[in-house]
Formats: sequence, structure tokens, C-alpha cells
Amino acid sequence: MTHKEQAWKAIVEVEQAETFRFPQGMVGFPDANDYVMLNSGHGDIVCMQATNRVEAAFLVTPWDKKRLGKQPDLSADQQACLQDPDENKLLWLVVLNPFSDPAWVLANLRAPVAINLDTSQGMQCIQGNPQLDLHFHWMRQPGQAQQAA
Amino acid sequence: MIVLRRRVGQAICIGNDIRIVITEVEPNTRAHLGIEAPTSIPVHRLEIYEKIHQENCAATQGDTMAWLKGAANDS
Repeated sequence: MTHKEQAWKAIVEVEQAETFRFPQGMVGFPDANDYVMLNSGHGDIVCMQATNRVEAAFLVTPWDKKRLGKQPDLSADQQACLQDPDENKLLWLVVLNPFSDPAWVLANLRAPVAINLDTSQGMQCIQGNPQLDLHFHWMRQPGQAQQAA
Repeated sequence: MIVLRRRVGQAICIGNDIRIVITEVEPNTRAHLGIEAPTSIPVHRLEIYEKIHQENCAATQGDTMAWLKGAANDS
């Protein structure tokens, strides 16, 4: 058990085994290398929180094959960085942005996160395919959904 | 910024591990670069990298846990 102290907020107790290592960090956050998954109960959306930078907190959700089609392919470099993961042990997550659009939660399909569950190692994998949407309408904002209903 | 003149087939190195080779130059249009770098160093087109950077900053500009709790209460 590791104690990660966020000076202004709280102490979060983290099982070492539940920490995911991102050697390259996330894009724009190269020094935020260890993440934990925090869930407050809204469906399958979780908060991927860096343990050393409180502002590096991403909402993520599993890649939905029914909506998005097959999961992305890893490039040779990405394969190597993720230590040649078994395809069945590779977890693909989409980064959500609930802050930029008042009506929609947006999903960035161009740079999903891949985690090798065997090694707990992850990386944000920028995709070369320009067809992938940076602002995919993932879901209506929860308040908006109620109004629409 | 350092500006170096190179011909097709010539290269530059950055540090010990990175080599960039000019593989082809299209007249007045594009240069083709071959890049050899350790897998630990991500290589991207700058404009794409900057877009993703911008998206990640936008995705973390608010209190994600507060949003998640609010969404759970609303659902």
C-alpha cells in the first residue's frame, strides 16, 4: 500500500498492484507517469488519475466495438513500448472530454489509451488515421439527457 | 533554430540515439524523412501532436471527479 499525498486535497491510499505505469506519460503530461483508476459509479466511465500531478485526471471509458468498430492497431513502436502485449490482454480506453461542449461529452478517437494488463504498462497511442474523430459525440451531458427525455 | 543543408541520402543525428535521413525531396513541395529513434521516444507529426496536446488539456480543464459524481447523481 502506497500513500499518495495531494497537498491541498486528501491522502489517497493506492494498492501498488493497481497502479498503471505510463513511461511516456500522456501527451502534454510527460512527467505524469503513474495512474490509478477511480470510479464514482457512472456507468463504465472512470477517472484515470495521475498519482503525482493532481491536474492530470482523465475521464476514460472502454473502446466500444459496437459503436466504433474494431480496436485500433498498434504500430511497431507502440508494440515495443507496451512490451509486445497479447492482444487479449490489451485494454483500449477512449479519453472523454465533458468540459468543452455544454450539450455533449466528447471522445477523442484519435489518441486512445492502450494498457497492457499483463505488465500494467500503458501509453496514449496517437493514430495515423485522419478519419478518426477528435470530437466524437460520445453521450449527451447527463443534465441534457434528462431534459431531452 | 539550427538550419542544416542536407542532400538526399545524407543524415543528421540528435544525441547518440536519433538519426534523421533525407530520403526524398519533391521539387518545391515536400521532403521525406526517415527517422531512427529508440522506441521510448515517440515521433509524431507536429500538427497532430499539438492537436492531441490541446485535446488533453481541454479534457482536464475541469474537475473530473466532480463531473463524475454529478453524472452519477443525475443518472
